[in-house]
Amino acid sequence: MSRLGRIRAETSAGWRSFVRRRTAVFFTFFFPVILIVIFGALVRTDPADGGLFAEPAAYYVPGYLAVVVLFTPLSRMGSEVARHREGNRFEKLATTPLTRGEWLLAQTAVNAVIIGLASLLILGLVIILTGAEIVFAPILIAYVLIGVVCFCGLGAILGSYTDSQDGAIAASNAIGLPLLFLSETFISLEQLPGWFEPFVNLSPLTYFARGVRAATYAEAGVADVAGIDPVLANLGILVVVAAVVFAIGARSIPRTD
Amino acid sequence: MEAEAVVEARGLEKSYGETVALSGASLAVEAGEVFALIGPNGAGKTTLVRALTGTTEPDSGQARIMGESPTAVDRGRLGVLPQDFTPPDRLTAHELLAYYAGLYDDARDPDDVLADVGLADTGETWYEDLSGGQQRRVCVGATLVNDPDVLFLDEPTTGIDPAGRRTVWRLIEDLAASGTTVILTTHDMAEAQRLADRVGLLASGSVIARGTPDALVSDHGGSSRLTIETTADPAAFDDLEHPVSRPERHRGRSAESAVVVRDIDPEAIATVVDYLERRSLEYTGLTWAEPDLEDVYLALADRAELERTAAVDDVADQSDAVEAGETA
Repeated sequence: MSRLGRIRAETSAGWRSFVRRRTAVFFTFFFPVILIVIFGALVRTDPADGGLFAEPAAYYVPGYLAVVVLFTPLSRMGSEVARHREGNRFEKLATTPLTRGEWLLAQTAVNAVIIGLASLLILGLVIILTGAEIVFAPILIAYVLIGVVCFCGLGAILGSYTDSQDGAIAASNAIGLPLLFLSETFISLEQLPGWFEPFVNLSPLTYFARGVRAATYAEAGVADVAGIDPVLANLGILVVVAAVVFAIGARSIPRTD
Repeated sequence: MEAEAVVEARGLEKSYGETVALSGASLAVEAGEVFALIGPNGAGKTTLVRALTGTTEPDSGQARIMGESPTAVDRGRLGVLPQDFTPPDRLTAHELLAYYAGLYDDARDPDDVLADVGLADTGETWYEDLSGGQQRRVCVGATLVNDPDVLFLDEPTTGIDPAGRRTVWRLIEDLAASGTTVILTTHDMAEAQRLADRVGLLASGSVIARGTPDALVSDHGGSSRLTIETTADPAAFDDLEHPVSRPERHRGRSAESAVVVRDIDPEAIATVVDYLERRSLEYTGLTWAEPDLEDVYLALADRAELERTAAVDDVADQSDAVEAGETA
């Protein structure tokens, strides 16, 4: 029971703390909604006309999902770590049996629930507002979960190396925004300079976007990776990256001053 | 160093850049003992507690808890209340204690802990809506959920009203009576005097005095004194058989408004009153007091501060001399 019990206690406290911050709850769900309304319904996808949204609506589904899978963990984890540091909570937790990995896992579980709900909302809105025709593949759940693990780890790293909540949020925005737009989410590789491709391949969000696109929109023609089906191959890469980032994130969490 | 020490520090040193927080701090606390660390702000109390609990790594020296390194010791046997600790503020007092209890395999019922810290009636109130003193008592409760063998409390009663403070004091006394080893830091000398079996005075990163409160008072507290509220000159008391002087400290009032008669028993007060009457020396009040831990603290902390200042001045003088030599 012990490890599970500790994670359950931390998850329960984290969940209660989150849902009782109504402003945070509201904007967590409002942010992706407003993005879909602006880009999907107001700017509109127009495949025949070129420009920013030149692809069919289904092409952008990974981008909309990426908004919550990337930004929510980055900003929430960054500020949560900073808040824990400011309140000397890690100093307290360091003297309990809870390990840093367990703490991060519990916070990741809270984020997974929040982001899972937000993802459902996004998929519904994308279909209703943009008319996107997508396949609901169960592997989408795995992509969202692994993406959350990866970016919770990154958020923990940011929170550990910034000196305040404000700093953590600013850093998460500064890192999140370029990642969001330069990871084959909204902008395809063909729209970027050729020399930029290696940088796109360095972003974990790229593998999320390619894999989700391959799973939900077969017509996109996502390429195989070393002869392996792109849905599985990109998930595999994302799993490896997530494991590394999560481990670094857990180690970054301060146990001492 | 005592053989049965449950908590030990040997020559701990820790610096943060140019600031020396610990400079060879050593202490040993025995099982079931309540040990109070007192000392001025910046003396190194919190850093010493952190070094002992493994939440800071000393630059050198050794810390042991129950014979083990602080980071290797069984966490289930420790209870730690950090200074300036703020738990998640939108959980109720009961939820907070249940949360921390959930981190241990063998934890106490949160309701019992709430009752222990005198908050049985406020268990369903969010932490952020509690008063400062109630919040601190919840934090104390969070250290007790695992029924620890060794308890570190960094300023446990800061911000707590007198009644709440007495609740915490009784709690600590009960814990000590049941065999829990308690290390606490405090600025409240009454708290240290009441609770501590032994007291360590920390100044400039070192434990400069330690012992039972009575022993410290006996060794460093000075003598009993009778304070006479009078503007008369101490020279007017030359014929009195006790030494008389102006007070070094006079509770915020001018030292010129009182004289202090030292080494005087309560039975001798009548002779002083007779003396005042015979010489027609006007006075507005008499206060007799035995020395206490506050006198020890002020005497030793003042001395340590003077020594530290003198040392800094010496270094500055030497530096000036070197610079002057180079210029010449």
